[in-house]
Amino acid sequence: MSTIGRAVINKIPEVTSSPLGDNKIELIVPVDKIRDVVTIIDEELSDALPESVFGVDFENDKYQLIYIFWSHANRTLVQLRVSLEGEKPEIESVCDIFPGLEWHEREAREMFGIEFKNHPDPRLLLLPDELEGAYPLRKRFQTDQSRLNETGITPPKPRPKEGGDDK
Amino acid sequence: MLQLDFFAWLSGIPVWLQDVLLWIWGILKGIIWWIWDIIVWIWGLVFAPENFMFLFRAVLFPGLIFVVMALIWAVWFTRKLWGRIQDRRGPVHLGKYGGLQLFADAIKLIAKESIIPENAKRWMFRFLPGLLLVIVLLPFCFIPWDFEYWYIADLSVSLVLVFAFLTAVPVIALLAGWVSGSKYSLIGGFRAANNQFAAEIPMIISTIGPALLAGSLSLMGIAQAQQSVWFAILLPINLATFLVAAIASVGIFPFDAPVADSEIIFGWRTEFTGIYFTLTYFAEFAEQMLYSALIVALFLGGPTGFPFLPGAVNFIIKFIITFFFFVLVSSSFQRLRQDQIVHYCWKYLLPLALLNVILAMLAIVYLPGLAAMLPLGGG
Amino acid sequence: MSPDILDEAMEVWFGPQHVSAHGWATKLTLVGDYIVECDPNAGYFHRSAEKVLEFKNFRQGSLVLERMCMLEAFLAEYPYVAAVEKIAELEVPERAKVMRTIMMEMSRLHSIQFWWGQFNAELGFFTMALWPWVDREYSLDVFEELTGSRHTVSYSTPGGVKYDFSDKFMEQLNRAIDRFEDRLQKFRDMQMGSPTFRARTEGIGLYDAKQGLKWGLSGPPIKACGIPMDLRKDDPDPNLAYDMVDWEVPITENSEHPGQSDALDRMEQRFKEAEVACHIVKQLIPQIPDGPIIDPKARAKANRLPEGEAYARVEGTRGITSLWLKTQDKAQTAYRAKIRGPCIASYYALKDLVPGSKFADFIVIFGSLDPYPGWWDR
Repeated sequence: MSTIGRAVINKIPEVTSSPLGDNKIELIVPVDKIRDVVTIIDEELSDALPESVFGVDFENDKYQLIYIFWSHANRTLVQLRVSLEGEKPEIESVCDIFPGLEWHEREAREMFGIEFKNHPDPRLLLLPDELEGAYPLRKRFQTDQSRLNETGITPPKPRPKEGGDDK
Repeated sequence: MLQLDFFAWLSGIPVWLQDVLLWIWGILKGIIWWIWDIIVWIWGLVFAPENFMFLFRAVLFPGLIFVVMALIWAVWFTRKLWGRIQDRRGPVHLGKYGGLQLFADAIKLIAKESIIPENAKRWMFRFLPGLLLVIVLLPFCFIPWDFEYWYIADLSVSLVLVFAFLTAVPVIALLAGWVSGSKYSLIGGFRAANNQFAAEIPMIISTIGPALLAGSLSLMGIAQAQQSVWFAILLPINLATFLVAAIASVGIFPFDAPVADSEIIFGWRTEFTGIYFTLTYFAEFAEQMLYSALIVALFLGGPTGFPFLPGAVNFIIKFIITFFFFVLVSSSFQRLRQDQIVHYCWKYLLPLALLNVILAMLAIVYLPGLAAMLPLGGG
Repeated sequence: MSPDILDEAMEVWFGPQHVSAHGWATKLTLVGDYIVECDPNAGYFHRSAEKVLEFKNFRQGSLVLERMCMLEAFLAEYPYVAAVEKIAELEVPERAKVMRTIMMEMSRLHSIQFWWGQFNAELGFFTMALWPWVDREYSLDVFEELTGSRHTVSYSTPGGVKYDFSDKFMEQLNRAIDRFEDRLQKFRDMQMGSPTFRARTEGIGLYDAKQGLKWGLSGPPIKACGIPMDLRKDDPDPNLAYDMVDWEVPITENSEHPGQSDALDRMEQRFKEAEVACHIVKQLIPQIPDGPIIDPKARAKANRLPEGEAYARVEGTRGITSLWLKTQDKAQTAYRAKIRGPCIASYYALKDLVPGSKFADFIVIFGSLDPYPGWWDR
């Protein structure tokens, strides 16, 4: 296991890790420890690049947030996985430690409905105003094809089932 | 008894009618004679020999029609030259070598809808582009295309009058930016005024040199004073500073900040569409042509040149070459920031312009051979 | 208008309807000529690519990705293909690896040519804007000869590549590379030596590497600060052929502001990257092995993928471009695909980088970070 993984687990024993490859590690972090883990990453990896923060919807109101950091000096990729539950899950924001994650958190909020506490700018990032609260990247969101006739294009094939069609 | 004699009255009606008709006829005859008198008067005015030639010169050559045709030629030339510099061809489809492209563009632009923003002051908005074009085209009267005959007017202070007109142009640009009712236009208008602040003074000082050496403030007088030696040889730095300051005054690259199309969309010209855009577009090229003509008259000897060609043709050849340099210089640089424009103009152009004037003055005093060639020294 | 208008703040929308705003809307607050606040607004270009990827099968997904940024199409489509190959455990033949690398470097070259022209056009230098674009036409001829399309190339596919190199293609490739290498030197000297150009870009948009990394910048904006952070060397992909070539990561150092980069450095950095790209392609051309161009089991294996997660990255022209893919067992489409574009940090960085500079410098700063809205809006 790499040094960063060891450093995090030594300080915060609730975190578990799983190997991903030669230079990548994954840490499974409980929701309330996210700020501590990110702070340790900031201290240990001096040139950590915050690549992204994004959500995954596992249906039945279960979500996961994935944080990805890359360090060029240590050639290490750190992936954090946080499991969340509920209709509107909450987690603390880390964008004062890594400013680059501010917009990623905004996007996760508008696409999944995950609330980031103490986020400085919780506006919509990519979506138009009418989709506020619609949380499009959730699995239960169906695109509204009601106005398709106005466009004059031929109607598409029927919506594929989850997992694809069998041909 | 006051009784109307009915039958006497009845027999008087035809006489009355006849009188009325005669009266109407008299009025009509008077009107027709009056119109005929006016026509005869205008005919006399236009086709009297000296008046006719004056109108010919004012309207055809080198007056309005010639200048407008030269303007269209200048725009075509600029587009083709820019195209070749940028490794492409410019307009090629309409007419041979794309010559009719300008006409097509002008017709298309005039036919477009003119959109006037809600915040704009409507009548000023409509009035200013026309005023701009008129003010830029008027100084062409004073350009001495030829010594004997082919010039329109020759005032003894025509140089000052030309610059009085040209100083109004950035003010109109500022006004146009102001009345357009858009923030981008406002910023562009301010930048145009700033350009004037930076470049007008070096330009006028560069023209003091020729005016001093020729001993006259009229363009005709300055052109006539160059019959033995061109002022470009005596005042080369002034020629360069005048060229640079003229580019800054017009507002083309590299002093393009008032019309910076990647920063403030189109500067003070942003909101003008349709016919107004056509007028401002042509006004820009007319200004470039005017400065080229001024350079030829002030520094390059005006109509002097090849003795076997008429003076006007000499002037036009030099004019084409100067315009070519205008376009070439402006296509080789990128835009400067507004404060850098002011910085460069005041720090470099102004001292150089002054320097050359002082050197010329010293040369006149200490080199009598030189002074003999110029009217200032009695030549 | 009040007399002290220059002391009042004026809000200007450098907005969606703007000549050089290719799909962003930034609200600038100006006092006089200085920008005091900058509020970037994204979202005008959002095409919901991540949701679309949940309905496309694994051979169609890369087409969605290459339309995120068509200027570097070969680089843009690669992360999806690589992620699918990781989950499906496909073996890419050697010939395909080399071909992919060559086309990716050509794509990087094309993107830099485009950016060069565009940056100059934004500065108002139309002559220098069109000269690199002539060379760009030669690159596009190369793409067209290979795939039939200039921008939307769809070349990589899970398991290999789709089209083979022909003789006419090799001829055009050699011509494009030779011609550009020659002209790059001349134009670069002409551009860098011009004092008006240096006056416009020197000292503009300074930041150091640590600050840049915190914002999320990667690629040329970080390499211009002197740090050789390049995924092609740091995290080499076994399905690409960068280890067959002898090359160094280009960096740029600023003598006046050590450790920081300004707009001029970022421009210099991109020229160096273009040089390195030409160098790599020239070394790889004689080393193309023979063989098949696609894994013969690719069609079968890439139809339905087992359950898995993969994170594939590529060093794009603008930074680290990556795709995180999660599939469910025997599914034909992705369960979740997250596209990470490098420009989201370029646009975000403006919030802190721009205030304090003049209005005319805004476009210089932004252009030097090489923004492309397709990458942050997706």
